[in-house]
Amino acid sequence: MDTKEKLKQILVKDLNLEEVTPEEISDSAPLFGEGLGLDSLDAVELVVIVQKHFGVEIKDMEEGRKAFQSVDSLAAYIEARTAA
Amino acid sequence: MTRLLVKGIGVAGAFGTGVESFQNALAEGRVTVGSIDVATGEGVQTVPAYRADTAGLEEFVPKRALRRVDHYSKLALLGSYLALKDAEMLGADLGRIGLVIASGYGATATTYAFLDSLISGGDNCASPTHFANSVHNAAAANVAITLGIRGPSLTVSQFDMSVPSALVSARQWLAEGRVDAVLFGAIDEVSELVAYLQHRRCGPRHAVSMVPFDAGSESSIIGEGAAFLVLTRDEGGPAYCGIDSVATGNIFGGELSLPDDALLLLGADGRSELARRYLDAVPAGGKAACYTPLYGCMPAAAAFDLAAAALALKSGRAFASPAGPSLFAPGKGDVSRICSLRLAGPSEYATVVMSC
Repeated sequence: MDTKEKLKQILVKDLNLEEVTPEEISDSAPLFGEGLGLDSLDAVELVVIVQKHFGVEIKDMEEGRKAFQSVDSLAAYIEARTAA
Repeated sequence: MTRLLVKGIGVAGAFGTGVESFQNALAEGRVTVGSIDVATGEGVQTVPAYRADTAGLEEFVPKRALRRVDHYSKLALLGSYLALKDAEMLGADLGRIGLVIASGYGATATTYAFLDSLISGGDNCASPTHFANSVHNAAAANVAITLGIRGPSLTVSQFDMSVPSALVSARQWLAEGRVDAVLFGAIDEVSELVAYLQHRRCGPRHAVSMVPFDAGSESSIIGEGAAFLVLTRDEGGPAYCGIDSVATGNIFGGELSLPDDALLLLGADGRSELARRYLDAVPAGGKAACYTPLYGCMPAAAAFDLAAAALALKSGRAFASPAGPSLFAPGKGDVSRICSLRLAGPSEYATVVMSC
């Protein structure tokens, strides 16, 4: 399973997104606001999810803001840090 | 004391959702007991439990808005919406409404899910959502935010005495004029933790039905649900009944005094250590009923007793007691005054006297 696929499954399960399936989440759609509709509380949970499931710590808020744009950007952020 | 009126009732439990389901269960004298599986040192055990379904909440709140709300808070929301709807206050300005919630255990499933995440992932990976929902006033916060209640909010936890203690606060707010009405409720949930404790206390052989007045055997069955009441000062108008007095005490500080003209509604719930105390409390010639076999053993059951009493007083007829005490059966006689009695430990007691 690639990072994007795993990420989508985790998002649906851990954020309890009952009205959407992993397959329905677009790689490029915004995670917050329009798109997946996540909010600031989800952002805090997302930091924990990324660390817990991928071992990647998001310490810098500016980096996190860029990474949380979409599944594409978050997967790229994770892969860049796990490959290092 | 300031007399209160019960203007609305919202209930959810193993009997179903809403006043009609509750009334039907009281009239029929039975409900279906479910179960919960719990991991123990002896493998997975099935523990009998009265379970409540919160699916009815979707009538009031979109499912998407509930995704971060745990089962415990859903029970609180469901009870709140039903009570306000019953009081015809849904959609009204709730700026001068107070909120008082009682719970013996709180959100145990979420609290222990948070602790599990802390143990398995360390400080950095503990779930923020679980933490937010594990705070004891989280259910009240969810209710206040969702319904727009802007008055004072309080959560009271004093195990078996949670409901009467919370009711004392609700009455005080109304007496002082701090609020025009109080949304008062009680919640407890069945979780793996509660089931595990029950299994340790009563297992491995669990009772399949409650026999509340058998002091010789343990027959408690854990329960969950929400029972909410809309309370106001007695300023007239339609209501289920009035609440004349609320008292809590300890027999070492003075004798338990019960009204001799009231039907006693006993909170006996299958815990053998309390059965004899309840029977001894009923005076000679007194009449008593007990409805706990319809909602189970939980501290919040005291609020179900109040809801049952309110329904009986409104109709003027006591419901038959499903499991005794036969010596004091209320029969089918008229009822105009009910005293709900809760006992805890060797000496604590609480009474709530209600009348038409």
